[in-house]
Amino acid sequence: MRTRWLIGAVTAAVIALFMAQLAPEAQAPETGAPPSTQGGRGARGGRGAAGDQGSGRAARGGRRGGRPARESKPTPRWPDGRVNLSQVPGIKGFWNVGTGSPIGPAGLPGNLTVDQVPFQDWARALYDYRRSRGGLDDPHARCQPAGGMRFFTVPNGMEIIDQPELQRIFIIDGENRDWRRIAMEPGRKHPPEDQLVPSYFGDSIGHWEGDTLVVDTVGYNEKFWFIRGGLPHTRFMHLVERFTRTDFDTLKYEVTIDDKGAYTRPWSGGWNIPWQYENYDGSPGGEIHEYFCIDNERDSADFAGR
Amino acid sequence: MRCSIPAVLVVACLLAAPLATRTSAHHSFAAEYDANKPVHLSGAVTKIEWTNPHVYFYVDVKDETSGKVTNWAFEMGAPAVIARTGWTRTTMKIGDLVIVDGSQAKSGRPHGNARSVTMASTGKKLGAGSSQYTEPQ
Repeated sequence: MRTRWLIGAVTAAVIALFMAQLAPEAQAPETGAPPSTQGGRGARGGRGAAGDQGSGRAARGGRRGGRPARESKPTPRWPDGRVNLSQVPGIKGFWNVGTGSPIGPAGLPGNLTVDQVPFQDWARALYDYRRSRGGLDDPHARCQPAGGMRFFTVPNGMEIIDQPELQRIFIIDGENRDWRRIAMEPGRKHPPEDQLVPSYFGDSIGHWEGDTLVVDTVGYNEKFWFIRGGLPHTRFMHLVERFTRTDFDTLKYEVTIDDKGAYTRPWSGGWNIPWQYENYDGSPGGEIHEYFCIDNERDSADFAGR
Repeated sequence: MRCSIPAVLVVACLLAAPLATRTSAHHSFAAEYDANKPVHLSGAVTKIEWTNPHVYFYVDVKDETSGKVTNWAFEMGAPAVIARTGWTRTTMKIGDLVIVDGSQAKSGRPHGNARSVTMASTGKKLGAGSSQYTEPQ
């Protein structure tokens, strides 16, 4: 009898886990999360329930192979005391990007729900249309570059290469071997608008606020969806991104979307990105692998004519 | 019949493990595939493309009524994704008989998203890194 009870309990747990996997994130209600207001980022932080959902799921990815969860080591620092946002000597790995969203429950506790996003009417209508098409019109589905913050939601590893002696930081992505360059020269300004060539990654300048890297970017083109769900943006989009390594295994990514073309006011969101010690496929190594989306892209043949 | 607790847990974990692997394709499942068009097909593997963004394999499927053979293409996850569910480049070879469960493309072509692949010779069933349940917001 006891064994039967146990089998029943374990089966129920497995079914519950299975159902949890089936639950589309888009439909998961966000409960208990207070509406975030502009500039309300300070109310966020830490790893609350919703944040844990995002980071916890990904953190399992960072500990594949059935190893038990472990306490994270403290935030690493360079010998001069500056925070180290990437690998440290003797410990390989990378940031396991790919599961976060600036809205909804796959992110920080203060993330807005879709209905709380301050869309302009046309932007909400376009977002709903994109959703109704099941992502068919997503340029990245045809392997176009993952621009803007989409860079951090494509799942092939990310490293932050800090070169203070050159006053620049590179962020490299396994996805298509893409990279971003953050100019760190003090006092650096963006080029005048008439000299900015609209691009997928824009013009980024950064500075440190304590242990947080703050990156300001303008100059985006309109040829990408900045998150996979299809939130619209325009050439006016201005992103302020904040990177905080809250402990060794966690990079808190917060972003403010300021786009007067698509939203009625700036709004913020974020998610936690976990450190991955193994290769992305779970094998030992901790190194980013090659991923070119265009290599054997066969999906667009099915998209055509629909 | 005795059934030890650890054995029960091991079996449960084995059952749950493939399901717990969340994957993220470069496109949404719904953009291309129809969850209401499930397919359960078997045949011999004719080609394998161990590539990004998806591993593809092709199977000659014979219609038992007409005898007509159709070459189906099946998408799996990226190589690094399905490696987590036990795949290696030599798991499936040309000529192997396989049973595929998945969903057909909305286009109606003989093209599907594989959810699992069962090797007919051994009965071993492997998850295929399907993106079906990972629709983002």
